[in-house]
Amino acid sequence: MLAFLDTVFLVPFDYGFMKRALIASLALSLAAPPLGVFLMMRGMSLIGDAMAHAILPGVALGFLLAGFSLPMMSLGGVLSGLLVAGLAGSVSQMTGHREDSAMASFFLISLAAGVMLVSVGGSSVDLTHVLFGSILAVDTTALVLIAGMSSLIVMLIAVMFRALVVECLDPLFLRGQGIRSGWVHGLFLGLVVLNLTAGFQTLGTLMAVGLMMLPATTARFWSKRLEGLIGIAVILALAASVGGLLLSYHLSLPSGPAIILLAGVGYVVSALLGRHHSLLAKHRHTATPLDTGEAG
Amino acid sequence: MSHLQLHDLQLAQGGRTVLEHLEGTFEDGAITALIGANGAGKSTLIQAIMGMLTPIAGRIDCDIPRERRAWLPQELPLDLTFPMSVEELIMTGTWPSHGALKGYCGPHYRQAREVMNRLGISSLAHRPLGELSGGQRQRALMGRTLMQEAELLLLDEPFANVDRETVEVITQVLRDMAANGTTIIVVLHDLEQLARLADCALVLADGHGRWSTPAELIERQHGHPMPQTKPILPFAFPDPS
Repeated sequence: MLAFLDTVFLVPFDYGFMKRALIASLALSLAAPPLGVFLMMRGMSLIGDAMAHAILPGVALGFLLAGFSLPMMSLGGVLSGLLVAGLAGSVSQMTGHREDSAMASFFLISLAAGVMLVSVGGSSVDLTHVLFGSILAVDTTALVLIAGMSSLIVMLIAVMFRALVVECLDPLFLRGQGIRSGWVHGLFLGLVVLNLTAGFQTLGTLMAVGLMMLPATTARFWSKRLEGLIGIAVILALAASVGGLLLSYHLSLPSGPAIILLAGVGYVVSALLGRHHSLLAKHRHTATPLDTGEAG
Repeated sequence: MSHLQLHDLQLAQGGRTVLEHLEGTFEDGAITALIGANGAGKSTLIQAIMGMLTPIAGRIDCDIPRERRAWLPQELPLDLTFPMSVEELIMTGTWPSHGALKGYCGPHYRQAREVMNRLGISSLAHRPLGELSGGQRQRALMGRTLMQEAELLLLDEPFANVDRETVEVITQVLRDMAANGTTIIVVLHDLEQLARLADCALVLADGHGRWSTPAELIERQHGHPMPQTKPILPFAFPDPS
């Protein structure tokens, strides 16, 4: 029995590439879900997707200029992501259009520009790599970069946590205190870009959003408290990462999609059986009696 | 000495002058009622006092720091789906003065409990905001203001859509705050509440402001002196015994 468990759970991680993949995905699993929870709470679940496309042209440009160098591609990704977020923000401010429509327009332009750049300068293998990542090809430089970015994101979320909460709940309160909510919003989008850039090497630009949003939306079925949402989302992301890597090792599946699909299975199961708002919860017609519950 | 004075103030919204030649002093520790029809400029004046709108001309002298100014608009864009409890909302009142980085400590929690006791919402401490009634939510928001230890409090129709008990509780809290020196400005439409609550009144009409007293306003409205305030009907089921 022990030998079986050892073969299933530990042997795969004897390999260096699996170890690095594990550490990279665990680092991402700590940083991405809290951002996803806040995106979800702000009704911006799809903005993550838009931002993922926005980093593509920068990544492609970095690739064209410096070849397969993760630092250059990451730098390009962060810059183009911030540029698109800034442009979308200012276009919506200047024209009065909603930010999501400006964002949708810019991310389509970015996607086309990115694919065009990679296709002109590289091969279809490169394109697949940029779009879908290859977690098993994470080298030590990439690992340091991913871990560094993830740590920075976690620390910055901790620092701006209360401002984020207040901005989500009651932006007017923040404005009343002389803090422009645009500043908090901008910094938050910056963190989203940073996280997606950290994730693109392992999961690809398109699927990096998965590790951010799926655990967050799944957690909604299990907790009604912010700490609960974040805690559960992180645990789900960690579990999906480890499980996805193991699945991909044993069944020879691509690792990125395996991780995200596993998180997706978690979402579907939670939507059916979760504690709150799930199909099961809707059919469970019970309530605590007045005298035993909290008075109110 | 007053903490809040208006000097020949002119305010505009979207290029249109809303108020001009506004003068006056808001007394410390007094409750001033702000009265006017819709569009008379009540919200514009509140925004200017909160520092969110720059005057076209004239000036507002306010030496109360921003973190001690609180504003409760009538239609607060509060995200009620946000997973936050009453206690957590009230605790956010500490962070303008306490800072965004430092954690809460024992005295803050004690203060929050006192505040909730005062407002009669102790039993709701862990209830999510989305599950509160209008009156309970208004009390929770007042709690945040109390935590903020506001020295200037601006309220827009605080008694709209709330139950009688909440009106009583909030009226008492406002009276206590004023007695402690807080400058309170409250937008009111109801004459009865004006009589019960306000010490003086600023009437906004036709782009100008005129200072008055509640007694004078009510006398003009009714043609006779201020009526005796109605006794509050106890809202409870009759005792079965």
